[in-house]
Amino acid sequence: METRPWLRTMKARALVRLWSIFGERLWIVVNMGFPILSSLALSLLYYSIGATGYIGFAILGGVMVAFWGNVLWSMASQFNWDKQEGLFEIYLTSPASLSAILIGMSFGGIIGTAPSAAMVIGIGWVLFHPVVAASWGAVLLTFLLTLVSLYAMGMTLSSLYLTYGREAESMNNVLQEPVSMVSGLYFPAIGGASPFPFAIQAVASLIPLTIGMDALRKSLFRGMDVGSIWPSLVTLAVMAVIFLVISNFALKALENRGRRDGTIAVRIR
Amino acid sequence: MISGTQASVKVSDLRREFKTKEAPVVALDGVSLSVSRGEIFGVLGPNGAGKTTIIRILSTLLLPTGGSASVMGFDVEHEPEKVRHVINMASGADKAGYDFISAKRNLWFFSQLYGIQPQIAEKRIGDLSERLGLTKYLDRKFYALSTGYRQRATIARAFINDPRVVFLDEPTIGLDVMTARSIRDFLKDEVRQHDRTIMLATHNMAEVEAICDRVAIIDKGKIIAEGSPKELKRTLGVPALVMEVTPPEKSFDLLAQVEGVKGFTSASDEERGLSTIQVVVEDDGTARRAEEAMAQSGHKVIASWRKETTLEEVFVAMVGRGFKEREEQDGD
Amino acid sequence: MISFRSLFASAWMGIQHDLAWTYPPVSLALQVVAPFASAMTVSMIYWFGSSNSGPGVLFNPTQLAYVLVGSTLYAHVAAYAWVPTVAIAEGKNLSVFQHIYLTARSTALYVAGRALSSFAISVTTSIAALAAAYYVLGSFLSTTVPLTVTPVTALMLGIALVADIPAALGLGYLLGAYSLYASKFEWSLPGYVAGLLMVFSGALFPPSILPYPVSVGATYLPFTQFIAAARVAIVPGVSGNYLYSLSLCVLGGAIFLVVGLAVYFAAEKKARKDGVIDRRMA
Repeated sequence: METRPWLRTMKARALVRLWSIFGERLWIVVNMGFPILSSLALSLLYYSIGATGYIGFAILGGVMVAFWGNVLWSMASQFNWDKQEGLFEIYLTSPASLSAILIGMSFGGIIGTAPSAAMVIGIGWVLFHPVVAASWGAVLLTFLLTLVSLYAMGMTLSSLYLTYGREAESMNNVLQEPVSMVSGLYFPAIGGASPFPFAIQAVASLIPLTIGMDALRKSLFRGMDVGSIWPSLVTLAVMAVIFLVISNFALKALENRGRRDGTIAVRIR
Repeated sequence: MISGTQASVKVSDLRREFKTKEAPVVALDGVSLSVSRGEIFGVLGPNGAGKTTIIRILSTLLLPTGGSASVMGFDVEHEPEKVRHVINMASGADKAGYDFISAKRNLWFFSQLYGIQPQIAEKRIGDLSERLGLTKYLDRKFYALSTGYRQRATIARAFINDPRVVFLDEPTIGLDVMTARSIRDFLKDEVRQHDRTIMLATHNMAEVEAICDRVAIIDKGKIIAEGSPKELKRTLGVPALVMEVTPPEKSFDLLAQVEGVKGFTSASDEERGLSTIQVVVEDDGTARRAEEAMAQSGHKVIASWRKETTLEEVFVAMVGRGFKEREEQDGD
Repeated sequence: MISFRSLFASAWMGIQHDLAWTYPPVSLALQVVAPFASAMTVSMIYWFGSSNSGPGVLFNPTQLAYVLVGSTLYAHVAAYAWVPTVAIAEGKNLSVFQHIYLTARSTALYVAGRALSSFAISVTTSIAALAAAYYVLGSFLSTTVPLTVTPVTALMLGIALVADIPAALGLGYLLGAYSLYASKFEWSLPGYVAGLLMVFSGALFPPSILPYPVSVGATYLPFTQFIAAARVAIVPGVSGNYLYSLSLCVLGGAIFLVVGLAVYFAAEKKARKDGVIDRRMA
């Protein structure tokens, strides 16, 4: 693998995403809607039942739902939409690495989603003043590792979606809410306080978001430091590597299969 | 005969089958051709003939089922990464770009996929845009460009990496006459000045005649004729016969029975109450017999004249039917 | 003039669009997943918050049912209220919308037909989601969720669902008006619709906890009254007056529909004047 062209491709794809988002200011507003409103609604739910100590969970959930939505709609499905526009063919017939393109998309997506996340935190803070007892170093490290592993999962999904054409949109609709539920975006999905039986907790633990949310809540609201949550951090790092490796292999395998079957660049509208 | 060392594109007994719920579809059935460096090579045929399939295999989007193909000496099946460094492709059906960024930024982005240094990319974008009349629109967002300018941007993208071989699939489809002409002029310049090879898949005969050095006529996955447009037209010998007859009919199969008729194509005009038939004839005697056959079958020949052979008539002569009739046949 | 043939044809197209991407029963089953997960998420939040907040806060099964029914129904409304937007945006991109516009009937009928087919699908999937959540919650939380389902209460729920159609259609027309005229970001509207309904329709909590005068506006929204009527029908012990809520839902719905249609027709006229009816979405 030649490093410089790979990095150029990655940087270029990240910039395209950022130019698209920040070049159309309305896009930032557009992306914020659901995370802010859902976070607000669920914060009000906690408030209405007198569970004000957990409002912070709803705000944190709103932050991560912004990134989860970005992973599904702007990462996993992106190649499908590129296929529809004829852009995917251009990628395939160029020497550019598909992985570099996906990683560039991830970087662009993370930075592009940051304003939404910041607004959720800002509005939540102003309205509800959630109580935090944070170990900020652990929070930052956990947050970064969660994002890396989540976007790596997005890359794997992207390579799987390549074979399913139009169904990608429907798959997103099927995945978005269930993953939000079992991964415990707004309440603990694993551990003693989880309402889920062990089997579901075990399956949920395979999703980076579940491990990440659990570690984030521990570091942000219970002040647990890196030394206390290191198993979660290691798990997230390992997941990231595994997803990256799977996506790399899957992309190559799916490309070869698509070239053989003649479906690699078939437009589905 | 083009030697292997001079050939930019070499295809040998290429086959491609697609599995379907019914019987497998043979899109390419033993195609062989060679394109030399600095040539504009056309692949001409009706819809469904296999033109796009050839382009997709050579651009490494599709694997062949049998045979072999190479581009600049690199095998398309086993060395796709090497092929991708020296080619580019554009399809007229796509005006592919990211809607929310400018045309310039789109071109820059695609240049980076080839690892081109930003300064070189900047220079190429400027040069290509100027030659394609795109400079004034470079800063417009892609979605705000008209069809013609999107297509110019698409063509610019196809040359951004200074490719040795460019594959174009219907590059001027849907464009107005002036835009189409300016794109063709650009393509001719690119080949002349930079010794590139262009392979052009199209069913637009005027385009082939205007810019192609050589052309392969393809039908049902097989090449049925190959040569320069002039050479191909010369193979028919005499100019074609055109007749306007009344009453109009959907088809004139009786002409196939006339000795010396190589093929024909027709079009009906119900409003004017007549059909226009183009008949590819062996000699003047055949032309006379064809007119007599029409008269005997109860049709009145209102007018008839001889005209310069077109490439479609070459196709008609090979296959017995025109593009339109062939596409209708395949649709049945 | 309303053409029922045009309406039914549009509804048929909507069914094909929503279900035909795979084997239809599978497609329908998959469409239960999202509302089921959404209802479960909200219910779990309620359970977790009420069970882990100390002595002052108690878990109450009736309140769980309140949240469960509300979250299912707001998602149902959101699911079909945004269909006009998608029908127009997709139609423009596929170059079919302008041809529908050029037929003798208004695009408003096409949009209504698509929304109604989505209503039918959403009712089916929402009820299935509610039933599934009822059993799963009961199992996970070792509690019985108090829902009363008899022929009478089912009929009352059915009437409430139908009574809410004008309001949802009106909202759909308002969103569709944007989609008619705009050429980008129409796909973001569903998220906003769902979010706004979560906050203001009394789906998860009584609108009275919102600050005045927002609470007043939220209380009298037709969507809020629809959910209130549905709760009175099937959740025993919930306070409220079914007929009062239903009347307010119908009245509010009529207003939404009239306003929505007026805005939609005005947008259609302006879009034609400005030549954007067939403008492709970016």
